[in-house]
Amino acid sequence: MINKVKAWLEDGTVDVFLGYKEIDHHPLPHCFTRERIEEVADLVLSPARYALEKIATHMAAVEPDIKIGMLARDCNSRALNVLYLWNQLNPDNVSTLTVNCCPSRLKEHGDCSYLEPEKMGVYKKQVGMDNNMGLEDLDSYGQKERLDRWMYEFQKCIKCYGCRNICPVCFCKECSLEHDELVKTGPLLPEIPVFHMVRAVHMAGRCIDCGLCEAACPMDIPLRLLYGKVNQIVMDLFDYETGSSVENPPFSILGDTVTLKPKPIEPVQTVNP
Amino acid sequence: MECHLVPSVCSYCGTGCGVIFEVINGKIVATLPLKTHPVNEGKLCIKGWNLHEHVNSFMRLKQPLVKTFGRFIKTDWDEAISLTADRFRGIIEKYGPDSIGVLVSAKITNEENYLAQKFARAVIGTNNVDHCARL
Repeated sequence: MINKVKAWLEDGTVDVFLGYKEIDHHPLPHCFTRERIEEVADLVLSPARYALEKIATHMAAVEPDIKIGMLARDCNSRALNVLYLWNQLNPDNVSTLTVNCCPSRLKEHGDCSYLEPEKMGVYKKQVGMDNNMGLEDLDSYGQKERLDRWMYEFQKCIKCYGCRNICPVCFCKECSLEHDELVKTGPLLPEIPVFHMVRAVHMAGRCIDCGLCEAACPMDIPLRLLYGKVNQIVMDLFDYETGSSVENPPFSILGDTVTLKPKPIEPVQTVNP
Repeated sequence: MECHLVPSVCSYCGTGCGVIFEVINGKIVATLPLKTHPVNEGKLCIKGWNLHEHVNSFMRLKQPLVKTFGRFIKTDWDEAISLTADRFRGIIEKYGPDSIGVLVSAKITNEENYLAQKFARAVIGTNNVDHCARL
């Protein structure tokens, strides 16, 4: 891996390489460059995940033609696909080095230990949502109970905007969460559930299920479950799996042709009297 | 392209959360939580998330200002400190040392807090020292 990154930097495949370097026992994201190529020897795979692709978009915003290389776990690759789709990064300028992923339902044997489910407290078990609950189990609660449990989770929110700030696919210059008509900035407590609903709607067809938002949430709100549900609706309606490919953008920007067709709607069953 | 990711400690309160500054071409463009930090474990509050904004703010004070005839005039540190010392001396002579109080902070180091109380007790001569964490 180290040799490959060195070769990439030397032959100009990439101008900078985003990886991890251990400083004082903290694996930190680090930008390796040709000028300081000797640092590449310290390149490590970090157990802690950072949204490297978000750093890459910040760099591309300053210098659009810069060639960026980066380590890519599965979640990074999915996020990159979404960013290519939304023209935030140019796929020709990005090279990835695929590395092993975090353990999850899909991949049991992974390197990352930061996604291990935390045990739920007694009170949360009674009134809240289990962060590690499967989407299919969600419907086992009745509508009223489900609403109550979600509202319990939302009212914990301290409006830190951490879920948005850490999100690798949140790049808008003007954010709806700071829009006077929708969610006013400033006052606490946040308007619930509007804050979370606005964000959930915007995550439809965009969320790549990396779980960084939930990891960054100081109040332990099951955000991944919420956005997973929204994405499931997109999947059911349009057969679109976010981040799986660079083709077939889910929603068109004004003036573009729509490439995605909704699934045929099943006729409503009417009960004859 | 110069891109550095600099680990640091949040400067807002006494908790001391770990942050990473994203510095591109010499300008801090974003703040990230330090995931492996034992204090905040990859979480931040809204103040920590926006640290880079107060670093880059145009309203940030970069040098001391002295209020002269109702207007703030830029000056250098030597002049500002000697002016403050003169005014302190004037107040102590007129009203006594207990007319001055020193407020210290949770967000400066132990040693700086020690120096501040030493300054209050030995230089000014008052026991009026208080701390924002005791409010």
